[in-house]
Amino acid sequence: MIFRIDPTAGEPLFAQLAAQVRLAVAAGTVHPGERLPAARDLAASLDLNVHTVLRAYQDLRDEGLVDLRRGRGAVVTAQAAHDYTDLRAAIDAVVRESRALSLPPETTLALLKEALR
Amino acid sequence: MTTTTGTRHRTPAPHRLSTTLLGLALPLAVLAASAAVAFSWRDDLPDPVATHWDAAGTADGFASLAASAVVPLVTGAVLTVGLWLVGWFFGQSASNRRTAVGVSAGTATFLGATLLGTLWVQRGLDDAAQASGVGAAIAVALGAGLVAGVLAGLVAPRDARRPAEGPVSPADPRAPLGADERAAWIRTARGGPGLAVAGAAVVGTLVLVVVTGLWWMIVLPVVLGLVMASMMSWTVTVDASGLEVRSVLGVPRTVVPLDEVEGAREVTVDPFREFGGWGWRAGRGGRVGIVVRKGPGLEVRRTGGRVLVVTVDDAAAGAALLTSLADRAR
Repeated sequence: MIFRIDPTAGEPLFAQLAAQVRLAVAAGTVHPGERLPAARDLAASLDLNVHTVLRAYQDLRDEGLVDLRRGRGAVVTAQAAHDYTDLRAAIDAVVRESRALSLPPETTLALLKEALR
Repeated sequence: MTTTTGTRHRTPAPHRLSTTLLGLALPLAVLAASAAVAFSWRDDLPDPVATHWDAAGTADGFASLAASAVVPLVTGAVLTVGLWLVGWFFGQSASNRRTAVGVSAGTATFLGATLLGTLWVQRGLDDAAQASGVGAAIAVALGAGLVAGVLAGLVAPRDARRPAEGPVSPADPRAPLGADERAAWIRTARGGPGLAVAGAAVVGTLVLVVVTGLWWMIVLPVVLGLVMASMMSWTVTVDASGLEVRSVLGVPRTVVPLDEVEGAREVTVDPFREFGGWGWRAGRGGRVGIVVRKGPGLEVRRTGGRVLVVTVDDAAAGAALLTSLADRAR
């Protein structure tokens, strides 16, 4: 997966990183057992403080998405491997309906956010 | 995606003079000098001389001085010419030139030093059967060969900086980036059959050392273990400074700066067929491969006809990010 951060966005940098890992796991681009980059390497590549990356990894650990072990880095847990097939199918259905109704994406997103609250 | 690469990248290799001096003239001179020294000793040497020793260190093979010198000299000369041709035709990347001249100079030094070392212990003997203590001579020759090879490889010139003049290949994948976005892709490439082969070789040579009791041979498993550790686990990074492939030991490593990237894509790699093995290797058409297993890999085309291939998962994402960052750097 590609890690991206946008320093001009309002969201804190550690939250941007954590959100991408969550998304990659749900989308199936990152698999259980896979090792995330070493925090030091990722921090150097993105020109971040290493604690920013560690903060993101710790949040993911608290959610049970990764295991943090000394010397082994952050490994995606088996627990992270929920079956997202139905969810993806449902999202496809939402996209289809929104397009059929010519709803702007912002409106669909607002509806989803409202429903998830 | 399957692609074949053959003679498309035929930019002539640079630094052919240094390749010829270090990879042809130097090794041949070492071999010739060894032969000259060996023949200058002919009055002090028994006839025939010992050419082979059994595991206990007793001489068990004999030949005339000329015959004992011809075998290593011809072997060395043939290998030297072959490697020089590799450096001449497939030396677009510094790593191929350095490997060619290093292996050539190192092997010639080892062969020459082995010849001289094994003859040295026979000087003044009436009967070559008395010759012994050849283990130390071979250990010294191994060390001399390693030092000469590494030195020749280091002296060979590196690639000059060569920023691309044209745009990045539009046919290759992209990962669109926001104007203020920073992005990185980091993966590990490790294991594969090469690891098993190297592990078996380490265990095998260790057993050999124990069984034969030839203490100096401990060098072999130690060197093999280090090579295995340095060649079979790599961190591959794509970020604002380009592509970096770094061994788990930190060395060796290689960097492709963004302004030298002409294109990048995912390819299917067969290390044995395309590179003749695993690890950091020279492949067909002068491609440089850092290959640990069969399957998908990241192929980066670089200025000067250089091509680097790394076997790594998720290579499509790495290629897309590399081309997009390279676009931005143009």
